[in-house]
Amino acid sequence: MIKLNFLKINGVEIKSNFKFQLFWIIALFFFIFRVFISTQNSIVSEIINETLLTFTFLSLFFYLLDLIHSKPIDPLALVINVGILNAIMFFLLTFSKAIFGLWYNQAEAQISNPGILYNLISFIYSFEILSSLAIILLAFKELYFYRQKKNVSTYFNTMIVFFFLASFSGTLKNIPDLSYIKDTFFIISILLIFINSIRISWIAFLVKKEKISLLILSVIISILFVVNLANGSSSSNHSQVMLEFSPALSHFFKVMMTYGAIYFSILFFTTLFHLPTAEAFDRKAQEVNFLQYFSKLIMESVDFKELADTVTEIAIKVCNANAAWIAWKEGNEFKSLANKNIGYYDANNLTKFVFDNNLGKISDDSFIINLKKYFTRLELSEELFFLTAAPLKAHNEIKGYLFAAKKNDISFDDEDKNAIDTFSDYASVAIENSILLEESIEKERLEKELDVAREIQRKILPAENPKFDKINISSVFIPAFEVGGDYYDFFKISENKLGFIIADVSGKGISAAFIMAEIKGIFESLAKTIERPKEILIKANEILERTLDRKNFVSAAYGLIDIKKEKLFISRAGHCPIVLIRDNIIENLKPSGIGLGLNFGQQFINSLEEVEINLKDEDTIVLYTDGITEAKNKNLEDFGEKQFEKILIENCSLNADEISNKVIKEVTLFSQNNSQHDDITLVILKWKQKKLINVNLGEVPSLDGMELDNG
Amino acid sequence: MAEFSTSIKDAGDVNVVYLKGYLDAHTAPILENTFSNLIEKSKYSIVVNFKDLSYISSAGLGVFMAFIEKIRDNSGDIKLTTMSDKVFNIFDLLGFPLLYEIYKSEEEAINKFSETKKLENR
Repeated sequence: MIKLNFLKINGVEIKSNFKFQLFWIIALFFFIFRVFISTQNSIVSEIINETLLTFTFLSLFFYLLDLIHSKPIDPLALVINVGILNAIMFFLLTFSKAIFGLWYNQAEAQISNPGILYNLISFIYSFEILSSLAIILLAFKELYFYRQKKNVSTYFNTMIVFFFLASFSGTLKNIPDLSYIKDTFFIISILLIFINSIRISWIAFLVKKEKISLLILSVIISILFVVNLANGSSSSNHSQVMLEFSPALSHFFKVMMTYGAIYFSILFFTTLFHLPTAEAFDRKAQEVNFLQYFSKLIMESVDFKELADTVTEIAIKVCNANAAWIAWKEGNEFKSLANKNIGYYDANNLTKFVFDNNLGKISDDSFIINLKKYFTRLELSEELFFLTAAPLKAHNEIKGYLFAAKKNDISFDDEDKNAIDTFSDYASVAIENSILLEESIEKERLEKELDVAREIQRKILPAENPKFDKINISSVFIPAFEVGGDYYDFFKISENKLGFIIADVSGKGISAAFIMAEIKGIFESLAKTIERPKEILIKANEILERTLDRKNFVSAAYGLIDIKKEKLFISRAGHCPIVLIRDNIIENLKPSGIGLGLNFGQQFINSLEEVEINLKDEDTIVLYTDGITEAKNKNLEDFGEKQFEKILIENCSLNADEISNKVIKEVTLFSQNNSQHDDITLVILKWKQKKLINVNLGEVPSLDGMELDNG
Repeated sequence: MAEFSTSIKDAGDVNVVYLKGYLDAHTAPILENTFSNLIEKSKYSIVVNFKDLSYISSAGLGVFMAFIEKIRDNSGDIKLTTMSDKVFNIFDLLGFPLLYEIYKSEEEAINKFSETKKLENR
């Protein structure tokens, strides 16, 4: 086998340059020898001549081999190259008579006046032939090995060896008795040419268009080879020059022309026979290509819409349709998407028509429908005569149908049906993947969003409870997975005044968290300038009118403890009642008031009441959100107010933190088999009068009962 | 998750919307759709029957707030009827009885619509 691997080891460039230089050096020697030295026909000179010729040929061949392997091989380009070289040779051969006629005596076919000029021209001429032959041989070699699966180099190499033998045996022209050797080699060469010319499997991989051009090319080229062979026959000037230049080259020329003529004739007929099946082959090849492309896409595609577009685009090609779309199931209806070459109206219309009339029994198989008889009824904007559809399945359920339609008169055949069937299977897998991916992305996005919301909430709520001598404060907040929008805060207005708020924003998640943040800002600033709960709530509602969506609202309760006056003021805007425990008795403080954001007019102001309570020692104020009372067990029963009140009473003698712990423990126990749906907030404030006595011994605590002042 | 559904009864000029199941942040869009559809058809006299509603969350209440303005601007109303004590309690805490007419029975609510109509015609 002709070694070509060694030049791939390293430094291809250097080696090919080296070959290039080698070629030119040898060629130069050859040139000098031919033009200036060789004048007599001695055996020695002939041997030197043929040796130099051989080396020139080989060095050129290997140099070109490197060159050709630097790019991927295109068989058709090789064929065209062979054709061009042949055409050039054809012209050279035609003009050889005119050129060399100067030196030839036509009658005697003898060189009349060989001189330097003749030597020069004959060298250039022969060198051209030699180069062309080298390129043609290289082209044949490449074509021979192109797309060859088995190692078949032996046949080719044997043929080349016989080519050389046939060529060089021609040198023995001086011994006529031995001419049979040359003939034998020549005949064997031709036989080998036939054997090797059959290996042209590469044409199978050409598409139909390429096959047609190959057919035309091979006819022209094989004729050119034959003509060149005929022109180069022994009586022509070309033959004379060749024989004089080098008998081996002259014979090699004939062998190569024969090879070409045979090869391209066989190529022509083979291509001709391949032509009828070319379309089917193309189609299969295309199908395979599409599926390959598509399976690659499955791995990469993320976007469902993008995928749907690709599906319809390929569907058109796969089953030779004019238009395609996907009818996607949404609820009980099919909606068209990824329409290709068809309007939204037409696609929807056709889909609806097919399923309303049950034309293609909704099944697992694809179907073909002839639309001709329904055409007038359909009122389509374009003429579509045939329809085929295949189901798209995900999770073993039909999610939609892949539709393809044709404009022309030829119906879809079984081949098309099979193609769309196979393709829809692939598409189903892809679609299923993309749905799963989209779901998990959506889930992830939601979780991220909730993380953000929880983070906002955590930062909004007070990090610690304010410290007062006479108020024992406890607060607990347990966030739900979906942020519920609970908010509580304390505002230490002065050493003697504590403002506090509990609120619950409607809705969940990030939107609730944002409203919470707003509420915090509003109350934080209002608490500094306004003391009375009712006024604060009225002002807050006013501010919220500008920003709050109509469907959002906030339930809130705001309280103020005046330590000096030992009074509690409280207002409630739609929030759960405020629990007051005094002497083991529970009182639900429920001053009237509409939730913030439910009404922005006088109605809100009118409805709002403010309760004023004279605090007694051990009074316990409990603020909570419905996350506690609506905590659910596995039977979806509520924890309830009764249970809540019971725990409060039972533990009212404990301090605020202990009461809070008891409540949370019970709620957690109750709802342990169910997930927490809403935030839980519990704020407990316990009035400790005695502490004040310890500090200010002289002062007698007021033991007034409580009063209820309607605001 | 608990399910939620709505159904509509055409009672002359009045449309009665029946709520069933759990109305929370996840199911609120269903009720939103129901109201949107009614408004699209210019049906502004709506009675909502809470008979089969087992739970309503703040997001559920928000749905009523989202539509009431538009409906009242078109001289319609949403009247609420047949609430369980538990559901009523939630409405009551938030002060809804001040903003909405809440009736014990569906007929009462429907009649209230025809009464106001008569008054208007007079």
